[in-house]
Amino acid sequence: MAAAALCWALRAARQVLPSPCPRQVRSYYVDWRMLRDVKRRKMAYEYADERLRINAIRKNSILPKELQEVADKEIAALPRDSCPVRIRNRCVLTSRPRGVKRRWRLSRIVFRHFADHAQMSGVQRAMW
Amino acid sequence: KDKSASSEDSTPEGAAKRQEDGPETPKQQLLDIIGGMKVEVSYRKKLQRLKASESKKQAMNKLEGLDSEGSVPQGITEDTQRGKPLNPELVKAASLVASSLPRNKKQTESELLAQLRRHEETTDTQKKGGTINIRNVISEMTIKRQSPAQRAARISGHISLQLEEDGQRRRRERSSAQSMDSKRSLKVGKRLNIFTKASAEPEHALKTVSSPTIWDLEFAKEVAAVTAQPPRNGFEEMIQWTKEGILWEFPIDNEVGMEDDAEFYEHIFLEKHLEGFPKEGPIRHFMELVICGLSKNPYLSVKQKVEHIEWFQKYFEEKKELLQEI
Repeated sequence: MAAAALCWALRAARQVLPSPCPRQVRSYYVDWRMLRDVKRRKMAYEYADERLRINAIRKNSILPKELQEVADKEIAALPRDSCPVRIRNRCVLTSRPRGVKRRWRLSRIVFRHFADHAQMSGVQRAMW
Repeated sequence: KDKSASSEDSTPEGAAKRQEDGPETPKQQLLDIIGGMKVEVSYRKKLQRLKASESKKQAMNKLEGLDSEGSVPQGITEDTQRGKPLNPELVKAASLVASSLPRNKKQTESELLAQLRRHEETTDTQKKGGTINIRNVISEMTIKRQSPAQRAARISGHISLQLEEDGQRRRRERSSAQSMDSKRSLKVGKRLNIFTKASAEPEHALKTVSSPTIWDLEFAKEVAAVTAQPPRNGFEEMIQWTKEGILWEFPIDNEVGMEDDAEFYEHIFLEKHLEGFPKEGPIRHFMELVICGLSKNPYLSVKQKVEHIEWFQKYFEEKKELLQEI
């Protein structure tokens, strides 16, 4: 899961690794649900463009309706894991599906744990 | 009383006495010192004499009759007419000098008196604190022009040597200015390429490697693994991270992964890609809307936009039979 997070970060930043880093990489995800979520994310990335284009034909008032019906059928024929709706923003460390803060990608328990140990930069206990 | 005293005291001995008695009465100040006059006259006494001489021109006129020589009164009248009377002692001295010289007495005396006038003018202006004609002085001076490179070199030398002592600074400035002028220049040496992208140099490095075999790669990896020491400090750690790609390069380049060489008109004017579509009908209308949206999209590259349009072209060609039924 740390490797997955790294991969996502690299994709977002679009940086290229000039040389392979000889480091310890965790090769297991926290649980199978997390692994399935990772697969769904990869598939959604692959089929994103096609989905966008077919939806552009579907959600249209100019093109004839027959064409739009055909497009409906086409998009339904795509693999089920390719739709982005099935992605669940799980906690990166514990794979908890609920109580996940989007900014840190961590569940509330992990976030609280790190914040109390002063390992979250700029996070402080609120007091007012 | 003054006239008789002045006639008797026309000796150098009397001059010393006269100077001592100067500040007592203004009339006594007017009496001249002949011959061996002291050069170092105190300014205070001179000021007093000047003031007295300015206020009492009548006494000056009286001196005309005192002198036995005829040339003197003419000189004195000339001086008084000019408005600024000279020190009468100096005038007397000048007249005596002129008489002692074998040449034309009048001419020499007039010249001497003119010189005295000039001296008096300068001293008076300096005493009054008035502006000596600086403009006249400066207008004659020419501006020494330096080349901008020399000037820059000197300025950089000034800045770098600010912390040192004054004496040392001057010596070093001279020596450094000379050395910079002769030896160094700004455009010599290898460029660091901090703010401009290094384009040519890495290409040269790559050209030497032709076709590395697997054994060469393994050897290179072994050497790198052996020589790679753990970082001694934070800087070396950051260098390592930058090489691996974990840390970005500074100054941050916003277009690291992107290499969009296309111009703006290639992004906006996409109608030339619409040639495969029918010119009328709903499809054309739809595609024009698509192109309008793409032209406003700054996130896609030109290639991606062209691919987008081509996908639609393919899609509609596949559906041609269906469309013709409609």
